[in-house]
Amino acid sequence: METAILDKDTELSRLLNRLTQGDNIDECLTCGICNSRCTWFDQQGGPVPRQIVRMAVLGLEQELVDSRMLWDCLICNRCTQDCPMGIDMAQVVTRGRSLAAAKNQIPEDIQKGIDHRLAHKNVNGLTTEEFVDTVEWIDEEFADDMEDPKARVLHDQPDCKFLYLPNPRELGVNPLHLTAMARLFYAMKETWTLSSDHTDVTNWGYFVGNHEVEEQIARRVVETAEALNIDTLVLSECGHAYHVLKCRVAQLLGREPAFRIISMPELCVEYAKKGVLKFDPTVYPYEIAYHDPCNIARKSGGYDAPRELLAMCCKGVRELVPNRENGICCGGGGGILQDSDTTKKRMITGKPKADQMRATGLEHLATACLSCHRQLGELSTHYELGMKVDTVAALASECLVL
Amino acid sequence: MTHSSDSVLVLGGGIAGMAAAQTLGDSDVQVHLVEAADHLGGNAASWACMATDECRQCGACLADDMAHQTGCHKNISVHLNTSLDRLEKTGNGFAARLTSGETVTPGRIILATGFTPFDPSVLSSLQFDNQDKVITTAGLNQMLKTETLTDFLGNAAQPKIAFIQCVGSRNRKLDRDFCSQVCCKISLRHSDKLLHLLPDADITLYHMDLQTIGKETRCLAADLSTRMTLAQGVPAEILTDPDTGRLRVIVEDPDAGTRVARTFDLVVLSIGMSPSEELNRLAGQLNVRPNHWGFFNTPDASLADGIHVAGCAAGPKDILGSRQEGWTAAAAVLKELGHDPAQKADVLVWGDGHKADAIARTLAENGHTTVCFGRGTASDRLTFMDPGRILSVDGTAGRFTVRYEQDGGRNTLTCRAIIAAPEPEYRTVADQAALSGALDLTVFASIPAGKLPEQIAFLLDYFAPETKTGSRLALNTALEARNTGRKITVIMNKMLVHGALGQQMYDQARKAGVKFLRYNAPEDILIRKTDTGFSLTLDEATLPGTSVTLHCDQLVIPKVPVPGPGIDNAARLLKQEKDREGFLQSPNVRHRLTQSPRKGIYFAGPAHDDVDDTDLSAELDGIMADLDFPGPAQNAGVEINQKKCAQCLTCLRICPHQAIFLNEKDRPEIVPNACFGCHLCVVNCPALAIESTSSAPDQVAAQIEKGQTVILACQRSAALAAGSLALPDPIRLISVPCASSAGVNLMLKLLVNGAAKVIVAGCHDGNCRSMNGSTKARKEVSRVQTTLPGIPPDKVSWHSVAANETQKLARIISDTRISSKDL
Repeated sequence: METAILDKDTELSRLLNRLTQGDNIDECLTCGICNSRCTWFDQQGGPVPRQIVRMAVLGLEQELVDSRMLWDCLICNRCTQDCPMGIDMAQVVTRGRSLAAAKNQIPEDIQKGIDHRLAHKNVNGLTTEEFVDTVEWIDEEFADDMEDPKARVLHDQPDCKFLYLPNPRELGVNPLHLTAMARLFYAMKETWTLSSDHTDVTNWGYFVGNHEVEEQIARRVVETAEALNIDTLVLSECGHAYHVLKCRVAQLLGREPAFRIISMPELCVEYAKKGVLKFDPTVYPYEIAYHDPCNIARKSGGYDAPRELLAMCCKGVRELVPNRENGICCGGGGGILQDSDTTKKRMITGKPKADQMRATGLEHLATACLSCHRQLGELSTHYELGMKVDTVAALASECLVL
Repeated sequence: MTHSSDSVLVLGGGIAGMAAAQTLGDSDVQVHLVEAADHLGGNAASWACMATDECRQCGACLADDMAHQTGCHKNISVHLNTSLDRLEKTGNGFAARLTSGETVTPGRIILATGFTPFDPSVLSSLQFDNQDKVITTAGLNQMLKTETLTDFLGNAAQPKIAFIQCVGSRNRKLDRDFCSQVCCKISLRHSDKLLHLLPDADITLYHMDLQTIGKETRCLAADLSTRMTLAQGVPAEILTDPDTGRLRVIVEDPDAGTRVARTFDLVVLSIGMSPSEELNRLAGQLNVRPNHWGFFNTPDASLADGIHVAGCAAGPKDILGSRQEGWTAAAAVLKELGHDPAQKADVLVWGDGHKADAIARTLAENGHTTVCFGRGTASDRLTFMDPGRILSVDGTAGRFTVRYEQDGGRNTLTCRAIIAAPEPEYRTVADQAALSGALDLTVFASIPAGKLPEQIAFLLDYFAPETKTGSRLALNTALEARNTGRKITVIMNKMLVHGALGQQMYDQARKAGVKFLRYNAPEDILIRKTDTGFSLTLDEATLPGTSVTLHCDQLVIPKVPVPGPGIDNAARLLKQEKDREGFLQSPNVRHRLTQSPRKGIYFAGPAHDDVDDTDLSAELDGIMADLDFPGPAQNAGVEINQKKCAQCLTCLRICPHQAIFLNEKDRPEIVPNACFGCHLCVVNCPALAIESTSSAPDQVAAQIEKGQTVILACQRSAALAAGSLALPDPIRLISVPCASSAGVNLMLKLLVNGAAKVIVAGCHDGNCRSMNGSTKARKEVSRVQTTLPGIPPDKVSWHSVAANETQKLARIISDTRISSKDL
């Protein structure tokens, strides 16, 4: 049995006491509601959210830093959703992680990704030359595909309507996704660009509660966009980036950016409503299930746009049960997907999601986050669900009527 | 005495409304009792009886009892299916148009609109709308009342049942940061009832902090803790097992320290109280302003002139509390209307603690000439006998003769009423050598802020489960000390958040940085003295496997009351039995909270439990209402035939109400106003000298026809339960004043007159208004069954049936008919 000496003046309590009102962990009622809301599931096990909060409340810093729960937490905030005191678990866990990181107790891949992001502007470690080569190759292919020389994928163009921030996978394993997005921009008939100064949408500083890193990355995004004098920053389908850039950026920078920030599905809905984009719903003449990414839905309130867009591209949207505020994490949240050591664990964390997917009886599912997309696809294979998984914007691109 | 002819409008026919209407009606005030539903009784009318092998003091049967009395009260006009339509203030009262079209002009209004149970559909994760095996306390009551639970559970042999507490309570996010006060008590009683009905049921009760408030709840929780699982931590989500379809919740397993899935056949959501929808509708009309929760239990709520509030409309409370508040509100209205009694009762207060002193002072301030056998400062109308010792108490309602000893001399005084408030004993730190240096909380609380040490630890639930007073004083003191910058830790098994502001105060204390540690049992704490104070090491209940060590300069522990010699002495001299827990209180709901079976004698405050100042003040208001407005004397329907009386004095000995005394001719005489008409004296008189004018055996036996099955039903329980039943022809129900009046004599007469069977049905043990009526009736039935030759034992039978157990009575009748046919 461990014996901890209660010491209230820890670094952790100092960090947590800086939280805004309502996130004050001292207010924890120890009601245990959070424990029942956590979906991390292997019949038993997983983090015990209340224990995390209680360690923090009682200042048991070393116990928390050493706890596997800190990194097992998916930061999905499903527990926070029903907390009667409004304690923000994502903040508690990420602050705890920041202390662990300070003691070098951080998963290797996450640290490497952050180092790359700071050094090379993306987590893959792609150099500027490699980025430019990749984009120019896609640009050529794209004009051919569209049979229109004016169909371009450009970078570093000032005064465009849009700056698009891709997911690292679009410049690595899945360039076709970038082409798909290019088709949507093309159909919108607006100018758009990529930036070689800032080549990826991620911000892993958020996962590890490192506000300095998080702020540094967010500032670079904003400054790049402002330098290019664009009108709107368009985010690739990425959950945590959506949350950071839609909900946290003003707080991180201490000011509002000089441009609008929108996600790709939201932009598509906007242009569809204007009558500019048209989709053919008969391409998928059946219902498609929709998975709410926690960062976009519960944590940022982005429930409707992806559903609206999906509804335009198929026979109808099938809800997973439960959904929206009560949606279940794909099992890959909180940075766990970014850690290559966790593949086996992710099949356990994703079991409740797999059960939900199976219960639909459908063969096709869409989501609005490329991380969820990867995890859901792996779940489909692992649990033999036979379910095709897409992102909403990718489906929209396929159903586009040009 | 000036009597106003003003009538009173009572809005709401639940417990509080009926209690108020009865008190007003008994003082000859015309009452309009307006009830939106099609029956009186409010929410309590749909609650099930919680009796197991004996009454559990839930009070639900009072709804039927009171509805019956209210319905036939000559001064009460009951308007069912009716609401207030429009209200106007007039010169000296109101003009109220009712939805029935009628207009009444009351001088005063009592708002008793009660509560609406919280709707759990709001919390969609609990699946109340989707899963039929997720029910609420109200749903469980319904099933218990209709005896349909076993079928509903599919006759499962060992059903697994969960209770989830605080659904819609103690939740700041839902803007419901208050404790609903009654739910823990209800769920514990429900669990007890379920274990009685289904002994193999596997029951788990998930709670935030089990509100073991009141001695019965403390004892019941201790008893249940060995028969079921009491688990801290409430699930907020109910899942469905994809394979079996059974209900599943994820909870922390305290032994394993991880989360586990638990499967259940039934989940009961213990829903909190919301203000009634009726009140929401009426608030504007009445010009009253409830607080943000919709109640009137905080200073920011306000009423309007001429409008009083009672019961759960004021704030969450239980049935007995609501009834007491109804009486009190009615008394206040009567005073406003000029009905104040010409002469205030002179009262003896018995008790030497500060609560007895407070009682005596309040009585004197309210015009009662008061003598207190305790310590305090004398004032106008208030005398202290200090030191004084009571030697004997004789007499009965209206005139007690008390012999006492003072300064070596013996004296006698008379008084109209006696309030017994003797101090219990206390378990304190002083009794524990190992804790020397630790302070009792009351001592610590008097230390001025400037002299407080730097680090202070409060240890609750240590000697016994914490009481209301102890936990509230600890919370207050902790918060105050914290606000002067001290480091405060409260170590507890649970936090009691009773009262309107309990939850908010607890929230405030945590927010202010008071640290709260939880432990499961006193053996989980190791206390060591150090050079500078204390070092405490405990197993933190929320962090299994982790023990924490804490240093403090001062350790503070509240004292815990336990029954003691003071209470024993008062019980002996007042000829009252102590209750199950060893305190001085009538064990049954008809006299509770403060009345005794002996009219004019009251048990208040420390006599019966740990009570806080709010409780004490409410109790005292209730007692003063009863003193000022006792209602008309009832005709007891019992007379002593002095020609037959052998002066054996059995009746004096046996009367549970001390309503028989020896007159100056040394003959027993019944004091009409003290007699409850139970007929125990009638059945016990060896000379058959005490005669019933209302229910004489010959008269009763003459009522039946040959071949009938006769039910002798107590008029306050089984007869009320039969109220709405259509009885088949061969069943003859005869209402008797008390089950005990069904003596051997009457049963034999019925059988001789051709009764096929005799069923005696009365209150559950512990709920007889005359204490032992049910026990006596059962004994009489057993005498017929076992000692009289020639009578088959199944000719007579005894059943306990509460006023709200209609379905049970129907079953008893149906079972009897089936077995008759078999014969």
